[in-house]
Amino acid sequence: MKINTFYRKAIDHQRLHRKFLRIMKLTTLLIIIALVHAGAASYSQKITLNVKKTPLATVLKSIKAQSGYVFFSKDLDVNQTIVDVSVKNASIEETLSACLKNVPINYEIVDKTIFLTVKEAGIIEKVKNFFMAPYTVKGVVVDEQGKPLPGATITVKGANIRITSDENGAFSITSNNANAVLVISFIGYETKEVAVNSNSENISVQLMHSVSNLNAVVITDSYGSQIKKAYTGAANTVSAEELNDKPFTSPLQALQGQVAGLNVTSSSGQPGANIQIRLRGLGSIGLDSNPLFVVDGLIINAGDMSRLSAGYTNVLAGMNDDDIETITVLKDASAAAIYGSRGANGVVIITTKKGKNGKAVVNFDAEVGVSSNIPIPEIGRPLSAADYSTLTVEGLTNEGISPTNTTSGIPFYINNYGLFKPGTNWYDLVTRNGQQQQYNVSVSGGNQSTKVFASAGYFKQEAGIIGSSFNRASGTLNVDQIISKRFTISLNFNGSNVNQNIPLEGNTSFGSPVNSLYDLRPTQNAYNADGSVNSSTADNTSFPTFYNPLYSVAHDKKQNNQTRLLGALTLKYNIWDNLYYTGTAGMDYSSLEETQYYNPVMSDFASVGGSGVNYYSRYANWTLRNQLDYKYNIPHVDNFHVDATIGYEAEKSNGYFISAQSNNYPSTQPLLTASANASTAVLGNASFSDYSFDSYYARASVNYQSKYVLTGSFRRDGSSRFGLSRQFGNFWSVGGAWNVDQESFFTNQHIFSSLKARGSYGILGNAGNGPNSTLSNYSAQPTAAYGANYAGSTGQNFSVIGNTLITWESSKDLDVGADIGFLKDRIVISFDYYNRNIDGLIQSAPVSRTTGFSSAIQNIGDMRDRGEELAITGIPVKTKDFKWTTSFNIALNKNTVTKLASDASYYNLIDFHVKEGGDFYTWSMPQYAGVNPANGEAQWYTDATKSKTTNAYNLANLRVDKYQADPKYFGGWNNTFVYKGFQLTTDIYYSGGNYVYDSAAPTLTDGTQYTYNKYQYIFDNRWTTPGQITDVPKYVAGGGTQADGATLSNSSSLSTRFLYKGDYVRLRNVSVGYNFSNLNTLKKYGINKLYLYGRGTNLLTKTFDGRLPFDPEVGVTGVRVLDIPQVRTFTIGLNVGI
Amino acid sequence: MKTRYFYIVIAGALSLAACKKSFLADAPPTAVPVSSAINSNSSMADAVNGMYSTMRMTSLFGRDIPVMGDLMADDIYISFSNSSKYLQENNYTFNNITPEVIDIWTQGYYSILQANRIINSSLPADATVNQLRGEAYTVRGLVYLELVNFFGTPATVNLNAPGVPIVKSFTTPFIMPSRNTVGDVYNQIISDLDSAYNLMPATSIPSNFHATNSEYIAKYAARAIEARAYLYKGDYTNALAASLDVIQNGGYTLSAATAFNAYWANPAPQAGKLETIFELALNTQTNNGTNGLDGIYSQSGFGDMLCTDPLYASYSATDVRKSLIVSGKRSAQPALIVNKYANYLLSTDKDDIKIIRYAEVLLTAAEAYARTNDNTDALIYLNMVAQKRDPALLGYSSTGTTTISNILAERQKELAFEGLRYFDLTRTNVAINRPVEPFGYTSIALIPVGDNRRLLPIPLAEINANGNVAQNPGF
Repeated sequence: MKINTFYRKAIDHQRLHRKFLRIMKLTTLLIIIALVHAGAASYSQKITLNVKKTPLATVLKSIKAQSGYVFFSKDLDVNQTIVDVSVKNASIEETLSACLKNVPINYEIVDKTIFLTVKEAGIIEKVKNFFMAPYTVKGVVVDEQGKPLPGATITVKGANIRITSDENGAFSITSNNANAVLVISFIGYETKEVAVNSNSENISVQLMHSVSNLNAVVITDSYGSQIKKAYTGAANTVSAEELNDKPFTSPLQALQGQVAGLNVTSSSGQPGANIQIRLRGLGSIGLDSNPLFVVDGLIINAGDMSRLSAGYTNVLAGMNDDDIETITVLKDASAAAIYGSRGANGVVIITTKKGKNGKAVVNFDAEVGVSSNIPIPEIGRPLSAADYSTLTVEGLTNEGISPTNTTSGIPFYINNYGLFKPGTNWYDLVTRNGQQQQYNVSVSGGNQSTKVFASAGYFKQEAGIIGSSFNRASGTLNVDQIISKRFTISLNFNGSNVNQNIPLEGNTSFGSPVNSLYDLRPTQNAYNADGSVNSSTADNTSFPTFYNPLYSVAHDKKQNNQTRLLGALTLKYNIWDNLYYTGTAGMDYSSLEETQYYNPVMSDFASVGGSGVNYYSRYANWTLRNQLDYKYNIPHVDNFHVDATIGYEAEKSNGYFISAQSNNYPSTQPLLTASANASTAVLGNASFSDYSFDSYYARASVNYQSKYVLTGSFRRDGSSRFGLSRQFGNFWSVGGAWNVDQESFFTNQHIFSSLKARGSYGILGNAGNGPNSTLSNYSAQPTAAYGANYAGSTGQNFSVIGNTLITWESSKDLDVGADIGFLKDRIVISFDYYNRNIDGLIQSAPVSRTTGFSSAIQNIGDMRDRGEELAITGIPVKTKDFKWTTSFNIALNKNTVTKLASDASYYNLIDFHVKEGGDFYTWSMPQYAGVNPANGEAQWYTDATKSKTTNAYNLANLRVDKYQADPKYFGGWNNTFVYKGFQLTTDIYYSGGNYVYDSAAPTLTDGTQYTYNKYQYIFDNRWTTPGQITDVPKYVAGGGTQADGATLSNSSSLSTRFLYKGDYVRLRNVSVGYNFSNLNTLKKYGINKLYLYGRGTNLLTKTFDGRLPFDPEVGVTGVRVLDIPQVRTFTIGLNVGI
Repeated sequence: MKTRYFYIVIAGALSLAACKKSFLADAPPTAVPVSSAINSNSSMADAVNGMYSTMRMTSLFGRDIPVMGDLMADDIYISFSNSSKYLQENNYTFNNITPEVIDIWTQGYYSILQANRIINSSLPADATVNQLRGEAYTVRGLVYLELVNFFGTPATVNLNAPGVPIVKSFTTPFIMPSRNTVGDVYNQIISDLDSAYNLMPATSIPSNFHATNSEYIAKYAARAIEARAYLYKGDYTNALAASLDVIQNGGYTLSAATAFNAYWANPAPQAGKLETIFELALNTQTNNGTNGLDGIYSQSGFGDMLCTDPLYASYSATDVRKSLIVSGKRSAQPALIVNKYANYLLSTDKDDIKIIRYAEVLLTAAEAYARTNDNTDALIYLNMVAQKRDPALLGYSSTGTTTISNILAERQKELAFEGLRYFDLTRTNVAINRPVEPFGYTSIALIPVGDNRRLLPIPLAEINANGNVAQNPGF
């Protein structure tokens, strides 16, 4: 019976083998022939060889030289296979037969190509082996540099033997197979097979670093690690090389363009500002759409915790990217469902560097340079004094202002506004070249029992706008200590302090430098005649409404000081062979001190003697986790194991907030900005905010020969954020992977070097991740709060309507993907299709106001994100001296609102029309119909046929809703070129398919607000003569009146006139460096590595709308406000290794 | 092996020992569940304060109601130089998304919610609880009276017309009540005010849970508001009974003419039952700032609202009330500036919002007498007010409908800028003739009887969220 089965298997196998081969042959033949023939020269067909105990590789080289045949081998180490061969004037077949006589290798000749494969043991060999006396092979596993590799896995193919190399890389393995094949593998290295026999002695196996990241990468989350090969989820890992040493204020900025499907944008160039991250589209409407952030296994607070300058802080800005080993992005259910209620928007896992075994390595890095802002497009620059004067007089003339009257006519305006004088170039005064610096030092080292990584870093960036800067001091200490054979303890500590100076910001602050840059008239004088800063409000050449930004920046103060401490202690205990206990206790402490001071002379608070606002916000979170892991090898089946994990996790967050404001500061002492100097207390209060999570989780995976992997995860989460009866939710996933390349038939084709298919489905939740989540404790139940005082007595109100039925948002995620490797995985293509159905969106939705409230949080509305991701990584060229590594990714996403509340659609933020079947961020606004060439008036369409236009804005009834604010596609293309010691890296990011709106248009585009400066585009393209075709209407000061006497409709009113294509391609980063290899002189001084580099960031941006007057990276909502432009830096750096 | 099992048990226990259920029942010290928010007499007094604070908002009695009650009638107009407030009411172009329309509806029900919570609390009755609960009943009745008069047909016109939904308790956020009839709403108002009257002790609150002065509702304040409700309903017999009860038992007095200006200039509450029966407190800490009622009249504030010429002209030269209107200038043009709320710039206290005054009760009694054909008594109460304000006045001696006209004219003069005039015009179902002022902002001159704009529309937001609420005709 046994034999029968065996034979049937063998026959099936061969049939498949042949069939597959035939298919492959057809498809490969053309390519192969083309390849081979292209380089075919004339060779003799007779081969002569006479060698003994020579590596097969050498022999093959000789055969190739003599015959012109090309060899392809799979899973074979031709260096390790030793052969004896002696032939004279032999044919190719004779030569090969002689060569491979004593080794278990088959050959096949296809045209001019020879394929070598490992021979399967036939029945004769099997029987022979049975009687064979066991023999022992000793060897050592080494890396590329010849250093021993401890912990490598060695198995004998076809036998259930598995050992690992010792601390010296040495191993000793016993086999009774006459021609055994050893499989040597180690994470991060390419697996090698070595044929051995009883004659083999002390073999040395050299493993090469894996080219592809498919087999090498380990996906680590809070609850365990898996080799990517056996991973069923969709996840991407970005390694230190892509992240380290980049002059960005947050590691998240370095992530831009690195991971397919991860959209990283920021609306402000203020260094340290919040970064908006959307993984696979918009995940929520009312709750956080940012992914969950995990540092060294700990779920942490991320995002913006500011209460004073929302959007301008970011807790993760405290993280030094030089301390980061990897950032892994978990994208689908199989990967993220273990995070249960908080995994729905994906998970970003940051793993810091750990100490490595061996001599201590000290790395020092210094980088200095200059920073400025991304240049404003020429057409978006504010006008010069001369152009502004010309435009204003033209506008006044068009309005019908008397050209001669000196008290109310144009001469009056010229005099009053100081027109046609040299004026001020606000752009030059407000922008600057700032400093960019960073210094990092780290030590890594360890021995058998203790491994340590320690680092300290300092980072400073000044934005290209006066008053805007950032600096950070950070430190990391990671210690891994083996206490005994069974106990290991790990300590992770990361601390940082961030200081930010933020000038007044946004469209509305009268002292905002960016606002001033655009809005201030170039005829307003920045300086007095004596050279001092002009703080007069007396007349229109000074600052009657706006403030002089030079004065504001010098006298106002807006500072943030953020301290972050992350610590975790992990104890691992090996209960017995395959059963492990892991206990983790972690703490995440972040505090933010915010100070804003408005000077008493020229600010919004001048009338009350200046004002100072002080906020203190602190979050202290702790996490406790207990986990059991069990690895079970299914007996009697080769390479078939089950890994199971169960655990319990509890998390509690405690927020504490103090607010204080006081007015009346001493006006003659500009340095006394502390609240203690103020004479009037305005506000002083404190409050708290807590939440807790209580979770059980389990995960199991079944792995059969790394060929078939099935995983499942389950998490039951409870959160204090929900109604008492609805606090718990269940989340789960199932996933499968099929490594087709592990199938024996795979070896019969030679196109793909690896092939993996995977799929997953699961349910994930969203309970709001950010510190300022919409959901707070008690938002689920009706509550009363104090503070409703009356007649000097305390009062309480029924103030929160609550909704005891509120429960988790859930996302049903489907992912199907494949990873395909070519050319020994030198090229790997990953493709994913996903569909996320998000149900029960938590939103504050309208309720009958007879309840006393206008809205209540509800699980209302569904949404879908569907898309494809493609990532290609490869090494197109690799020679001895030159290596080109490239990676390209693109993600397409389509967001669709699938269900809304009872009313079919609603307008959100006025400009977006949210309706079933549409993208959530669908712009809705009147369609601009350009300028009437006859009279220069702005026109809008009145109906969908666009047959009629109107010059009255209130009749512009056609609201188009076909443009969306979120990108339809985005991705990156990153390249590294290494030639000898030189290295060139380029990172390109692109995004497109979306439209962005200019909310600054009302002041900067038409004559209604003629006292504000205008874009260059307006001056260049304004309508002046009948018949002129343009999109900029006639410039009329004050808006003017129409012929019928009605007020002229503002051409700057909300319309598609100010909607621009948001597509752009940006050269994010270019670095050129030289790695000094000839260090003999330096080595004397203990220097082992010296790398000198120069770098530029945000160097070039290509946009695709000729009218676009601003940088199109404006954040997820697509609305441009007058905010600090993104920073561009030029730096030089030195990296020294000791 | 034994030790192994021991370790497994330890690990298992650690791993599976979940926190107690209370772990998820966080109680942040910023709010309390509504169910336990009123757990003592003291906390009920706090809730009453909270209830008053909701009425103080500009979206309710703090500005919208008193301004609209005069502006939509003929007491005030908007200067051509203005801050763009109430322009839609001024020109009767309001619609279902006009902010004030939405605000009165929303904030009205918010105040009702606070009152409901106090009324429905399970605290056992004692004198304090009765007083506090009585205040809540009064507020509920008062707010429903405002709502039904803004959004419903006058009761004097049609009691069966749609009024506003009656909501008497908080159940879930997802209620969708339909509109009760005007008659039902009035029945509820009167029932509430009766409950209030019956619950509240005659004197004052027995223990010191809050002050006893005009800033808190007292027994006869409930009765006075009930008199107004009966008058608006057209139930003159009961209006008379209620007003007489206040007059005979309330202990309120009118100010001497010589002290009348000082009375208005005083921002502090009345402890001696002078003139004010109930007013909403605004003080240094809790006030509406520039958006207060004082700010819309004061030329130091927005100062948009000016007294109409005919109203000013209606005061005789010796009428002390005329001195509350100052003939001045706004944007270089002549303007009649209302000076009833004169403490806009006072930093130590702010003008309270007068909700009901004794003079109104007297005039209600007068009108109720007149309408129940007791001209003699009608004239007594009419003259009681008129002669107090104008010591030179010989007194009215009219009869029949002339008496009623005189009473209504006197009401206008007495209660001007307190937001009541509009309801006198709607309940008496007469055309609203609005003076055309030379320096006034665009407005409409005539709103005839039957014009749909005499009712505010139900806010669109309410109709969207509550399909059971029917819109008023014409919107």
